[in-house]
Amino acid sequence: MKPYEWMVKCTPQTEWIVKRGVLLWLAFFFIELGAGAYFVGSFFGSLVSMSIGWVVCGVLGGGLHLLYLGRPLRFFRMFAKPKTSWISRGMIFVTSFMILGFFNIVLRFFSVSVNVLSWLVIVLAFLVVIYGGFAMCCINGIPLWNTALLPILYVVSGLWGGAGITVGVAVATGSAQILIGVEEWIHLLLISFIILLFTYLLSISYGSIAAKTSVSEIVKGKGWHVFWVVVVIIGIGVPVGMMMANTQSAPAAILYITLLCELLGDLGMRYLILKFGFYNPLIPTNT
Amino acid sequence: MARWGMVINLNKCIGCYTCMLACKQEHYLPPNMFWARVLVGELGKYPAVRKQEYPVLCNHCKDAACVSVCPTGATTKREDGIVMIDYDKCVGCRYCVMACPYQQRTFYGDDKKEYFPGQGFTEWEVLGRKLYPLEKGTVVKCTFCVERVDEGQKKGLKPGMDREATPACVIACPAKARYFGDLDDPASEVSRLVSERKASQLSPEFNTNPSIYYIAR
Repeated sequence: MKPYEWMVKCTPQTEWIVKRGVLLWLAFFFIELGAGAYFVGSFFGSLVSMSIGWVVCGVLGGGLHLLYLGRPLRFFRMFAKPKTSWISRGMIFVTSFMILGFFNIVLRFFSVSVNVLSWLVIVLAFLVVIYGGFAMCCINGIPLWNTALLPILYVVSGLWGGAGITVGVAVATGSAQILIGVEEWIHLLLISFIILLFTYLLSISYGSIAAKTSVSEIVKGKGWHVFWVVVVIIGIGVPVGMMMANTQSAPAAILYITLLCELLGDLGMRYLILKFGFYNPLIPTNT
Repeated sequence: MARWGMVINLNKCIGCYTCMLACKQEHYLPPNMFWARVLVGELGKYPAVRKQEYPVLCNHCKDAACVSVCPTGATTKREDGIVMIDYDKCVGCRYCVMACPYQQRTFYGDDKKEYFPGQGFTEWEVLGRKLYPLEKGTVVKCTFCVERVDEGQKKGLKPGMDREATPACVIACPAKARYFGDLDDPASEVSRLVSERKASQLSPEFNTNPSIYYIAR
């Protein structure tokens, strides 16, 4: 984009994907993936999955989020405005999830089950998965983000990735019962993800000029290779193929590759949504 | 209490960029940072094409999106309508930069940029760091020259009427296309211009109720 085109033509956002913004892209991914793994693991009694989810969410995701900040040592100030700010709410959700989730894991390790705590952490895990989508959808300057479908898409992709991690853990630990149960979740979440993703893009394409530009760039513009190769073929095609082949008896390596493809597809989708979020032009022009 | 606002007459604006430079000079802004800009668009079809200049700056919106999304409370709206950033509270999450539909906020991430790279800071840049220190890792934006407005009011001057109490971009405009004053005072020049000349806000569909109005052609 030339400097004289800034906000005269559709202008892409850059703070949350370019240079240091890459950290935030990865942070949102790991936070929601980890919380999803904890969420799914909780339902199937997979302590390993819950633990991995906790580490990925808090240590990896939370750490990357703090690294992104301009003044990370002031992070404690971010709890100040949960009434109006989704980032503030997210900090509260993630911190509460980390503290209570840790205690829940420790108690479960010693075979002590506290139902109230377990359910509270499950709710917190869900809130952690969903808050990123809401933080983005309330930005009305970027039509690609300003839709109710975005939080739902992020929840489904977060849970889908988390379920994939739980499957990986079940394969590694030889827990056949967990594997069978989680695979049903994965199939449902995969189908939901496909329907949601294409509904999301199609509905956005009927919006303003910035919305049309976003979808056009994703599907046939500069992002087409990430969309078609990473998201559609690798991220969706491979898992769909595995689902149709009914692969409960597949070798572990195949299941791990499928998991990796899922995660790549999720990461690619989040990249596209961040990279091609365009602002509407500010002034009336011919373009 | 006054509600400070601005009216920009697009019929008078000649697109000279003086307002941009006056703002940069007033606040000693570093390279590639602008708190006021002039956007130039093209309207019409050949041969009846014309340029359209739009000076833009922070709108100091009444329902500012940046104020509600800020997680630390660093961005606040004063009683007189000026949206300010407390650099001591800002963590640099840039959520406000994303949330502003007018894209008038800037993240100050690199405090080592020089106007003449490799030659060190000029005296002007050194002076600027003393007079208007910006904090690295925080978000910055137009402040309606709040220091001029506040100091002027203390001296009994009237912002919008007296030069010392008026934002730099307003007094620098050679075409006198910019007006500053109290939008809540029906007798003020800005209020009169808004009502008589049917001035409009930029992109009202964002529902932020900007305090900057434009008199279009």
